[in-house]
Amino acid sequence: MRRREFAMFAGPSILVMSGLLLLPLYRTVQWSLQKVDYGSPGEFVGLDNYRQAFSNSRLADAAVFTVTLTLLVTAVLLVAGYVLAVLVNGLGRAKPYVLGLLLVPYVIPHIVGASMFLWLFNSNYGGVVTYVIEKLTGVEILWMTDTWANRILLAMNITWAMLPFAMLIIVAGLQGVPDEILEAAKMDGASLIRTHLSVIVPSIRGVLGFVALISIMDVVRVFDPLVALSPSAVQIGNESIMLYIYNVAFRDGGQNLGLGSAINVLLIILIVILLFPFIRGVAKEAKTR
Amino acid sequence: MSALAGAIPSATHGSTDQDDVLHEKPRRPPRRTGRALVVGGLLLLICWALLSPVLWTAMTVTKPTRLAFVNPPQFFYEPTFESFVNLWQTTSFYSYLVNTIVVAVISTVFALLIGVPAAYALSRFPSWISTVLLVAALIFRALPRFAVVLPMYDISRALHIYDTTIAISAALVAINQPFSIWLLRNFFAEIPEQLDEAAMLDGCSRWQALRKVMIPLMGPGILTAGIFMFLFAFQEYLTALVLTNVNAPTVPVFIATQLGQTLPMLQQAGAASMLLTLPVIAFAFIAQRYLVAGLSSGSVKG
Repeated sequence: MRRREFAMFAGPSILVMSGLLLLPLYRTVQWSLQKVDYGSPGEFVGLDNYRQAFSNSRLADAAVFTVTLTLLVTAVLLVAGYVLAVLVNGLGRAKPYVLGLLLVPYVIPHIVGASMFLWLFNSNYGGVVTYVIEKLTGVEILWMTDTWANRILLAMNITWAMLPFAMLIIVAGLQGVPDEILEAAKMDGASLIRTHLSVIVPSIRGVLGFVALISIMDVVRVFDPLVALSPSAVQIGNESIMLYIYNVAFRDGGQNLGLGSAINVLLIILIVILLFPFIRGVAKEAKTR
Repeated sequence: MSALAGAIPSATHGSTDQDDVLHEKPRRPPRRTGRALVVGGLLLLICWALLSPVLWTAMTVTKPTRLAFVNPPQFFYEPTFESFVNLWQTTSFYSYLVNTIVVAVISTVFALLIGVPAAYALSRFPSWISTVLLVAALIFRALPRFAVVLPMYDISRALHIYDTTIAISAALVAINQPFSIWLLRNFFAEIPEQLDEAAMLDGCSRWQALRKVMIPLMGPGILTAGIFMFLFAFQEYLTALVLTNVNAPTVPVFIATQLGQTLPMLQQAGAASMLLTLPVIAFAFIAQRYLVAGLSSGSVKG
């Protein structure tokens, strides 16, 4: 392909991404160096916003909470997604129907899924799960106000929303496992677990990597579930970085867009660090083509 | 169709063989049935658990309002569609639904219109530019929404398109562009380059090679990317929250604003959730076939 053709084909896409992603991003970096009041041009303040972001432990707390949640959910998604994919893949005629049913949580908007969880768990709204647990064990779990209960609820909701995607991608990956190596494993008398761990898992490494990548990207930026499921996130220490940005830029009385933008920039740096292995992989792979 | 059609039948063939390995001893029917029953029962249980939020919501919205959110929860009641009637009569749900569909359709169409040629170019242009663009796409896919959506608020105000479906659609085309070119580029990379070269030797231009040879081959791939784009646009909450006010909110924004309100309004939010969910459940059943076929033809191996 000639350079001119490349420009013609990729041009519109590059133009849209520059205009509507790169330019706004530049604006965010600019704001992060300014004191901004809504409606008036900002005033340059150097690194003040960054200094303020690091002046207390709120950012660090949010970062620890978010990253821990991300790693936990990603691990659960990989394991549960794999097991579920193997179960579904072994089905015969029922497979499309089961796949369709299992995909339902993935197609529901996150904020809607989170409010469904709210009604299922919050005893203020007659949450049936909490009711049944209380009947069985005598313990009333305070999902909204107890730090750890709330963390578990959030993790469950996010996993619920993303598990179908993980399963779907892994099911697709399993279709590509060559029959010969499965035959060979059978000939060698490998056990069921052994076949999975040393034959199938390595051969769908790329697919599992893709699931991990998407999961890391999406959970680090978690916001929607917290809106519905964690109304007192700040007080109980369950504030994600995105929620922190929202609180700083819109609520908290401060409406501090400069500080919010600085945290945005810091979050981007965190994301790039977390994604570094994948970025290197893509760069390498693209070069060899 | 050779490249992709080849991949799909072999995939189905592969799954039956795998079936044997997973169930280990195909020659002992009784044991196999026993295991199939266990697996079936387990899957049934998992499906039930995963669908329980939807099922409970369906119950909640068909209860009389005074029973909907009481504690202890009520399991037996006279079903009623009161909350749906309320939703329809007291809110502008209809226009939010139209907004959501308009945004999803427009942004999907445009994302594909500009994404398909770009992905094709990326798969056929071995240069550092392609590498840089792919890495940039990866990072752009991961950008926090606020970092792009807050400035977009300013831009949309300046362009006088704030609070219109156009603004949200444009934002979503851009936000989803990285994922779509990335996915589509992997599909194109699976198609041997000799095919488009042969077409061009026969006198096609690049455009014609793309239109007449590549795109027909790319059916499953484009469909897969389209399904994802539609879903992302349809689900998006934050972008619509920031870029709309009274005219163009989508259903997710409406549902979120109902959450902190009175119980009847909460029940309306539930009714809205169900009305939004039922069509996408149908969508999931239709989409899963194409998604598995599309995704297994090699798009996510990279």
